[in-house]
Amino acid sequence: MPLLADKVLDLPFDVVPDPEEFIRAAMEWHFNPATGSPFWLRRAESLGFDPRAEIRSHHDLRRFPNVLPDLRDVHAEDLIARGYGDRPDVAGFFESGGTTGAPKRVVLMREWQDRLLRFHEDVLDRHGIARGLNWLGVVPSGPHIIGALFRLITERHGSYVFTIDLDPRWVKKLLAQRRLSDADAYAEHIIDQTADILRRQNVGALNITPPLLERLSRRRDLVDLVNEKVRAIMWGGAHMDADTLALFRTEVFPETIFLGQYGSTMYLGSAAERPNLPVEAPCIFDPYSPYLTFEVVNPDTLERVDYGDRGQILASHVSKGFLLPNNLERDMATRIKALDGTVGDAVADVAPVATFENEAVIEGVY
Amino acid sequence: MTSAVTSPVELAALGPAGEFRTRNQQAIMDVAGAQVAQLSLVPPLYVHRTVSQLRAAGVLPADAWTEILTEAAKLFASATIGGLTVGEYQRLVSRVGGLPISTVRGATSSTAEWITKAADTVARACPVGTASDWRDPSTWHGRAVWARRGEVFAVHAAGNHPGTHALWPEALTLGYRIAVRPSRRDPFTPHRLITALRLAGAPNDQVALLPTDHSGADAILQAADLGMVYGGDDVVSRFGADPTVLIQGPGRSKILITADADWRDHLDVVVDSVARGGGTGCVNATAVFVEGDPAPLAEAVADRLARLPSLAPEEDAAALPVQPLASARVVEEYLARKAAGTRAWLGGDGIVDGLGDGSAVLRPAVHELDSPTAAQAGIELSFPCVWIAPWTPDAGIAPLRDSLVLTVMTRDGRLIDHLLNEPTIRNVYLGDQPTVWMAAGVPHDGYLADFLMENKAFVRS
Repeated sequence: MPLLADKVLDLPFDVVPDPEEFIRAAMEWHFNPATGSPFWLRRAESLGFDPRAEIRSHHDLRRFPNVLPDLRDVHAEDLIARGYGDRPDVAGFFESGGTTGAPKRVVLMREWQDRLLRFHEDVLDRHGIARGLNWLGVVPSGPHIIGALFRLITERHGSYVFTIDLDPRWVKKLLAQRRLSDADAYAEHIIDQTADILRRQNVGALNITPPLLERLSRRRDLVDLVNEKVRAIMWGGAHMDADTLALFRTEVFPETIFLGQYGSTMYLGSAAERPNLPVEAPCIFDPYSPYLTFEVVNPDTLERVDYGDRGQILASHVSKGFLLPNNLERDMATRIKALDGTVGDAVADVAPVATFENEAVIEGVY
Repeated sequence: MTSAVTSPVELAALGPAGEFRTRNQQAIMDVAGAQVAQLSLVPPLYVHRTVSQLRAAGVLPADAWTEILTEAAKLFASATIGGLTVGEYQRLVSRVGGLPISTVRGATSSTAEWITKAADTVARACPVGTASDWRDPSTWHGRAVWARRGEVFAVHAAGNHPGTHALWPEALTLGYRIAVRPSRRDPFTPHRLITALRLAGAPNDQVALLPTDHSGADAILQAADLGMVYGGDDVVSRFGADPTVLIQGPGRSKILITADADWRDHLDVVVDSVARGGGTGCVNATAVFVEGDPAPLAEAVADRLARLPSLAPEEDAAALPVQPLASARVVEEYLARKAAGTRAWLGGDGIVDGLGDGSAVLRPAVHELDSPTAAQAGIELSFPCVWIAPWTPDAGIAPLRDSLVLTVMTRDGRLIDHLLNEPTIRNVYLGDQPTVWMAAGVPHDGYLADFLMENKAFVRS
């Protein structure tokens, strides 16, 4: 028998809970021995504080340690809250990209999935994307949550969905081994499949990663095809700088609606682009507060930077289905004031933590 | 102080639709760490779109290019371009790259001369048996015709010397369209040169300036048909196997003085080879091999180089390169580590001479090696730094390999034959010619056209 949670954890998608009441209810659920997950109940023993008594606001979430490394070895079943009973409705287990070592695992509960889908359906409406379109998804598939969520979001909002297989870990491996021509061939293989669907099927909208959209744009015939058929492009899964986005919007696909998603498997969802921004403004992402929240922090001190300043993104996921506070994403962003009535920060100009050119080259004259 | 505080010079990318400004701005600092310019960095998407527009563009005949290049050379060397007089332009190049201003001025005139003669240089590279155009009546009977190996030529420009930009305009006269990625150490020269070309009538879709970060740099080479890349051993190992990339690798220029010549008669040439222009060129001598005792030569060279003054790069009398103090210290430590076990005649106790404003002069270094095969002879640094080693006929030409220029003082004709036919020695100068000698129409590392063109059989009826 599923156990009853505080109703503040079960509000409809568009009813905003009181943030502090919400956090207290979530702590009660995740750390009560009757309802919490084996993972968190075990972890609670070494926290040094009692989350049910001491974590009372989003700010207090900062007291949690970084548990991300533990998600590499944890049995995925142990992430499921006991409160869901003997037959928990699990939508799936998903994995991080695997950029830094072995993948980390998370559980996607049907309940959270439904809430998220409902939220994004609304996001697509607010961006003016027509309902009933056929979508083509050119995003990571398999263990990557983006492929699964994309499919569900666009099925709900649109009509039918076409997909292709995309394994980003293989590409990363090829690039790490500097097998550039192999990586190139794989990407072209993806674009060939994309082209085939674009040519032969009624596709009205595209979900695609920025590098693949760039690659697609190198083929003149595909640019024409997209301009002819595609009314909306939802992009995510990788970064897109402001200059590239502006070029896409003004020169390459000037008639198409662009909708950016900044998502991560580790926070089980994505922050959507704020609608109705001026063309020259940076792309701002608003997380689905109070469930997904960001803070933009100084990477060394972890203190919040000022509005308009750059910092690293500290993300938290708090919902009935999952808890992962204090996750320092490997992304930098500009801190932007969050929408009224929401918790944390909005972010803009998201880019990977900078890696610098090798400046240690001394010999030579060039 | 010679300059008032001014706002940074803005350098836009130069694309097919004209100037292109981006949000991604790269600050360009002078040697003292003050920002003097900002550069629009374009993303890979812009690179790919630009290159495909260049590829689709029409080809101008060589005659038209000669007119444009002649006019552009005049503008480059004298006009106010992008709000900068030629003097202001030269001062910026000097302040950012740390090159002596006299070197920059010399490069301005030599670049103007070289690009005016670009079509002539290219013509010299065309084999005598080959027609440069299929319309030549001789092709009725069957003949070789000169044909491009591609349409778009990418240049990853060098930042060590503005004179390196005199080379790539040759490709225009062959019908190539060109995408230049500037070095952050000198974005001014290609910006000025391409703007001059456009003012002189070159259509925007013939040559573009595409400043980029690393990902964009790869995109330029990927998108273009052929490319030219300046760099050290890292670049050689990365692109060495790629037949579409022409590498302008390490210079490691050298001098050989055999026993039938007296080094005392050639001291001026040796010093000039090591230090001309500030010693930052790929043609500056890195090592001198002398048959006999190297010590007296090392002493004499050290004595001459020690007299060069430490001055800010924009001073008329400046003769040595200037770098930010921290970078200069890194070079100094590197040299000290590598020079262990050699005999220092100059610079043994340090080469950095701070100017007090955060920048420092790199003072010359002269080290004596005890063997012709000492590994140090291949260490090329971007200031007057020379290794002087003994040589014997038994050592042969092995120590002289891997040289962009080899100046040789000898009367041994067979030795000259050997040196000339050694593939890793790219240029051989005999007698009193410094390694830094160059002339329009004479190849620098082969003719550029050797790489850009090929001979194809052509016959018609």
